Amino acid sequence: MSSIQLSAYQIAQKVRAGLLSPLEVLEDHLKQIAAVDGVPGSLEPKTSDPAEESKVHAFIEVSADLARRQAEQVRARLERGEDPGLLAGVPVSIKDIFCVQGTTTTAASRILYNFRPPYTATTVERLAQAGALIIGKTNLDEFTYGSSSESSAFQPHPNNPWNTERVTGGSSGGSAASVAAREVPLSLGTDTGGSIRQPAAFCGVVGLKPTYGRTSRYGLIAFGSSLDCPGPLARDVRDAALMLQVLAGADPKDSTSAVAPVPDYLAALEEGVRGMRIGISPDYDHITYPDTLTGEMSIQAIQPEMNTSVRAVAEVLAQLGAEIVENVPMPNARHGIPAYFVISRVEAASNLHRFDGVKYGYRARKPALDLSELYRATRAEGFGLQPKLRILMGMYVSAAQHSAQYYQKALRVRSMIRSDFERAFDPNGAYRLDALLTPTTPTTAFRRGEVMGDSVLMQYSDQMTVAGNHAGIPAVSIPAGLDPQGLPIGVQFFGMDFREDIILRAAYAYEQATRDAEWRAVQPQALRGSEVKA
Amino acid sequence: MKTYEIVIGLETHIQLNTASKIFCSCKADSWGAPPNTNICPVCSGLPGVLPVLNAEAVRKGALLAAAMHAEINPISYFDRKNYFYPDLPKGYQITQFDEPIGKGGYMDLRMPDGSERRVRIHKLHLEEDAGKTKIDRGERLVDFNRCGVPLVEMVTEPDLRSGEEAAQYLTQLRQLLRWIGVSEADMERGHLRCDANVSIREAGSSMLNTKTEIKNVNSIDAVRQAISEEAKRQIDAVEAGQRIESYTLDWDADTGTLRKMRSKETEADYRYFREPDLLPVVLTAAEIAAVQNSLPELPLARRARFIQDYQLSAYDAEILTSERGLSDYYEESVQLCGGAAKLVSNWMMNDLIRLMNDTGKSAAELRLRPADLAEIIQLVEGGKINPATGKSLLARVEAGAGKASQIVADEGLGLIADEDTLRQQIAAILEESPSEMQNFRAGKESLLGWFVGQVMRRTGGKADPKRTRELLLELLRQ
Repeated sequence: MSSIQLSAYQIAQKVRAGLLSPLEVLEDHLKQIAAVDGVPGSLEPKTSDPAEESKVHAFIEVSADLARRQAEQVRARLERGEDPGLLAGVPVSIKDIFCVQGTTTTAASRILYNFRPPYTATTVERLAQAGALIIGKTNLDEFTYGSSSESSAFQPHPNNPWNTERVTGGSSGGSAASVAAREVPLSLGTDTGGSIRQPAAFCGVVGLKPTYGRTSRYGLIAFGSSLDCPGPLARDVRDAALMLQVLAGADPKDSTSAVAPVPDYLAALEEGVRGMRIGISPDYDHITYPDTLTGEMSIQAIQPEMNTSVRAVAEVLAQLGAEIVENVPMPNARHGIPAYFVISRVEAASNLHRFDGVKYGYRARKPALDLSELYRATRAEGFGLQPKLRILMGMYVSAAQHSAQYYQKALRVRSMIRSDFERAFDPNGAYRLDALLTPTTPTTAFRRGEVMGDSVLMQYSDQMTVAGNHAGIPAVSIPAGLDPQGLPIGVQFFGMDFREDIILRAAYAYEQATRDAEWRAVQPQALRGSEVKA
Repeated sequence: MKTYEIVIGLETHIQLNTASKIFCSCKADSWGAPPNTNICPVCSGLPGVLPVLNAEAVRKGALLAAAMHAEINPISYFDRKNYFYPDLPKGYQITQFDEPIGKGGYMDLRMPDGSERRVRIHKLHLEEDAGKTKIDRGERLVDFNRCGVPLVEMVTEPDLRSGEEAAQYLTQLRQLLRWIGVSEADMERGHLRCDANVSIREAGSSMLNTKTEIKNVNSIDAVRQAISEEAKRQIDAVEAGQRIESYTLDWDADTGTLRKMRSKETEADYRYFREPDLLPVVLTAAEIAAVQNSLPELPLARRARFIQDYQLSAYDAEILTSERGLSDYYEESVQLCGGAAKLVSNWMMNDLIRLMNDTGKSAAELRLRPADLAEIIQLVEGGKINPATGKSLLARVEAGAGKASQIVADEGLGLIADEDTLRQQIAAILEESPSEMQNFRAGKESLLGWFVGQVMRRTGGKADPKRTRELLLELLRQ
């Protein structure tokens, strides 16, 4: 049996016990990448081969040599009788927004097409320290700016392994796809407005956005610095917990990382949900959406299976002894996207200032007349549409004459969103929740090209997730079934600050209780027809 | 012609003398280092890096705020100031905007004519320095070594009234920075940099007119000169019926002229917002108290105390408090000399400062410590050596010849203490000089000096001059 059928937890156990060679694990996964991934994303895509249409295209770069060296080190440590770590021999893909020495780190943008960082992100460093094999860099929306991964400057963009006509979601689309297509058991993504959870939901995998500060941002190319969270994508809850165990903890290189102690997440999984209070909110069974013509906000229903899945999950948890608390008001949830539009873009515009063609990355080829000419040409040619839109928006709402009206106001909305959660989680309040259960997305994976080009609509696919980023709290999305088109449905648990253990526990209880559900036996399209069977 | 008053505000950038930069662990001091050799991913603005605040920069910033009588903010914030320039690798400067470390404050200036002026501080905040660019053979070159050096930006209210006052402000600020140990404050090395805002108004008016900003006035002479030039230019323009326009001027120290750089009619929008990569800077009451308690006695206070306690002249007190190390040296020496304040002052004003100038060392750097100085003074005062020997010993101890008393013993530099020996020497001289002796006795008393000289020559300068004189008179009048 190929090791691609194993979970990260199983691989690490076998490798640590000497039952499985890390090099063999690596070759199994490289083989799977070769079988399903197709050509890697590039700035100048080759002429379209129809066969490529049904490939996954999760990767921009496969770092087989780096991973082989790491596998060799794991083997050597084992031979010396040392413990190579919690992730011994586990292949991990890295969203190409993390700097990794020895790889090109592009952020899926032309402006960084040739950037080779001289240092490695803390999170990636920790994975490698724990014995993981860094197998490659996955594709994403340019600079993480999107919810479908279609806006990458490196084409072809990733396709959804469940149906390659569909998007992976984004921006950690390549990461989610690589996990769903069994190219890796684990991937490192980032979540600024939902960029781990939404693609995890679309691709039928587990995605965890930790508490802000729980995982270090050092080496993560910043989008919205006050919102960005690195976190795991995995095929099951235990693997997500295992990866968080390795990632979590204070980092002296990131002043905003938290010093709160890191609990034993794996041990917590087994504690069950008896007595746990899990809330459901009427403010999460629809989205509030601006009319494109009038700008008026109107209520839009979401795909009905989303709400039925939330109910079904609640039912299962209730049977396991959890108490379901209905009608938890989250009145400010609907302001999440407008506030996010403003805050994230102000930070993004500033974070993009450093890409100017002076020091690294792309520089306009035509000879510049003067400095401002160099800046203009480099940024005009180097950035795609999304960075440009976000710079314009960010500059506008932070300008001296607009800041009070937009940016300062958005910051106030942000704290109102946070207080919704504080009220719901307050141990002395009316609801006393341990977790809030919601759909992860308004719909399952949409068609390629369907939403691309409508930045506002695209952004609204994050309406269910973004509140967690505003509030800084942890949230995990898990698979909860398939819709009538056979596309994965995700549900999400929000939790209290630094209580990833609680939401992982709820997620794990549901996963274990539905282990034998019929839908769990269905394989993604990209895996069907290959010789590999579950 | 009407009488005009010149209105000046100074904006200073002060490099703090911390060991490392403000947001990374690179050395803060790159003096003499080749371009781009003292940089790291953080200070050169690579993608994905994060700043980590240097606590020592905060402490020194707070200490400076305390020295300027500013209120130390218990919670201050860093903000991003967004603009493009090649010397700014992140495309924004991390600075403090609306909640800086220091609030208010002032410095009392002592003017050469004895008057005092209080200069209020408008702004005092921490920030990072930018790099440097230069044009070389048509190419623009960038050096990031200076990126991330901790700075305090300090801006005065428009409280200065002449180039001379501005020069005094900078002189005393420089003294203060060194005194409290937060900056080397060497203007030539860019530790202390200055821009001047200059406007004029009719004497008696209190309104503020359009100002111009003079950049790059990086020496005290330049400040004095550039402001005088600009004030004169503005007065001439107004007298000629022209309007003063708001623009930025560049001071060319080589030619002593002002050059227009750009119009400042429209203010740049830096789109300030809180730096999300740093936490608020929180100083507890105890930490603020610790900073305030660590503030040494400041120059003005010490000067007043020297006049009061040691009865020094204002001039001597001024010189001896010009630098903290020198004033500490003085006080220690006085203590070791049993409180002989005036005597120590004379030695230091005349001889020690000359030694410092000759060796190019500060008081703190001298090998000749206060204990050495006190020993030499006491040897002279105790009649063990003559003053000339004492003075020559200063340089010898400084040069590493050993302890003063040891040198005196080894080389036999001590005065002849035995009176019989001295009497014999004098008697011999009188015997050899009958005619001089006769002339003296006939009333030519000015010959006494000649006799003293003879004794000194014969004894190799080891005769106690006072005792020699007494013995000569005694023997001559016999």
